Amino acid sequence: MSARWLLLWIGIAALGLISRADAEELVTALSAEMVSIQSNFTGTEIVIFGQISRDTNTISRRGKYELAIIVEGPTQDITTRRKGRFLGVWVNRDYERFLNVPSFYAISTTTSIGDLANRDLLDEYQIGLNHLNLAVTGKSDVPLSERDDFRQAFLRLREEAGLYSERQEAIEFLTDTMFRTNVPLPANIPVGAYKIKSLLFQDGALLSQTEGSLSVAKTGFEQITFEMSRDYSLLYGLIAVILAIFTGWIAGVIFKKD
Amino acid sequence: MQLYLPIAEIPVNIFLILGMGGAVGFLSGLFGIGGGFLLTPLLIFSGIPPAVSVATVTTQVVASSASAVVTYIRRKAIDMKLASYLLAGGVTGSLLGVILFDLLQSLGQLDVVISLSYVTFLGTVGTLMLVESINAIRRRHSGAAVSVKRPGQHNWIHGLPFKVRFRRSKLYVSAIPVLGLGASIGFLGTVLGIGGGFLMVPALIYLLRVPTGIVIGTSLFQIMFTMAAATIFHAASTQTVDIVLALTLMIGGVIGAQLGARMGQKLRGDQLRLLLGLLVLAVGLRFAVDLLLTPEDFYSIAITKGAGA
Repeated sequence: MSARWLLLWIGIAALGLISRADAEELVTALSAEMVSIQSNFTGTEIVIFGQISRDTNTISRRGKYELAIIVEGPTQDITTRRKGRFLGVWVNRDYERFLNVPSFYAISTTTSIGDLANRDLLDEYQIGLNHLNLAVTGKSDVPLSERDDFRQAFLRLREEAGLYSERQEAIEFLTDTMFRTNVPLPANIPVGAYKIKSLLFQDGALLSQTEGSLSVAKTGFEQITFEMSRDYSLLYGLIAVILAIFTGWIAGVIFKKD
Repeated sequence: MQLYLPIAEIPVNIFLILGMGGAVGFLSGLFGIGGGFLLTPLLIFSGIPPAVSVATVTTQVVASSASAVVTYIRRKAIDMKLASYLLAGGVTGSLLGVILFDLLQSLGQLDVVISLSYVTFLGTVGTLMLVESINAIRRRHSGAAVSVKRPGQHNWIHGLPFKVRFRRSKLYVSAIPVLGLGASIGFLGTVLGIGGGFLMVPALIYLLRVPTGIVIGTSLFQIMFTMAAATIFHAASTQTVDIVLALTLMIGGVIGAQLGARMGQKLRGDQLRLLLGLLVLAVGLRFAVDLLLTPEDFYSIAITKGAGA
């Protein structure tokens, strides 16, 4: 906690004082706007701070404030496959393709997700893994009765990979209106533009929401290597070959026996 | 110490990768093989995506064959004309291989094809090696006079048209089997991430009757270039060559290979072939077990579009 944090806090507090909305307003800030992936990257953690500012005219409500903070990665299309026996060998057989699903989804809440709001609201704002909209392609050979198996398997595999997570009661209130939460980002995190959605609830009603952004990018050598492999793939291949021949040749010369 | 792989997009333990490169390099030096057929499975079993493993090992095979080719060039033990015919076939085969690889990957059947091919090839080659070496050891122990089998001067291959003279190998054979052999091994190498030396060397000796003194150098020389072509095709098409992983494997590999080569000189040929046969069979069995046993998890996911596809 350095001077930077202090500034952040002052900023949040100032925003809170300035805003004179009719009701509750939510302001959040991130510990870093950008996560850079370098050769020693093994995952990291971002801290999200926030403040609930309330107009002095707003009548203090009786219910407790509840929050949900969602860190969402860029979307992907993902094929989930199921193995079946074919001529005695286990091979991938049925599959279901999920379209435009988040590559990363981490939700932190102050309470259990079911207690935040009713089902319709949770579905509408995609709060919680069970409320994610996992659209599938029109053409699918999977019978309707088994579609949920694919959905469950998809969520489970993403959870096991650390890419989807639900952390209930993981938001800490520092004062009545100030809060913070830590969201771990695993080593296999996809690169791209992330959204950070914060939602404020009270008595099952959505009072306010705000959205921030976070960028996850490879930097330095990792970025150059990756971009080259995509944009100048032929040159990349040539460099790999030259590097290999050079390494081999050096070794052959160094260790020559005769 | 963790090292982030920019193409595989996962961190790996650098010492684990160096160690695997070193161990396989040691065995390749010991047995005089490329070791791709051991390295690719090891990478797959350790959690590197199969597509990245296969493509990256083609690069590592370039390095390991280059270090040996230096010696054979010095000894002038390479038939350049034969190698260039094999290479022409090899590059074509490799191109076909990368097309199939891409197709299988999009169909989600790449992993099972890789596994099945490993079971088939390693099973067959391993069994043949084992039988041959056990017979050799038996003969040596029973004290029977080892009759050096002289391969007959001609077989059906020598009756094919389009004959070409290969002076260095003292051969006058049809270009068809030479190109075909190069193409088959280039194709397999690209799809399976192997150099194919363990298939190429016996084929050159028994099918084409290339003199043994020239076989290894020629085989290595053509494997180096075929795998260089495979690396470029993989880089351009599947984009799964991880240069950081390749370099780490190379460093481990070349060091291990030197130690292995020194150790190899202390063991008898038939004992070496017995050990190698067992090793090849073991890897094949490992793949067979995965295919036949009921999987722990029936489901798997693959990114088809968007970040990380």
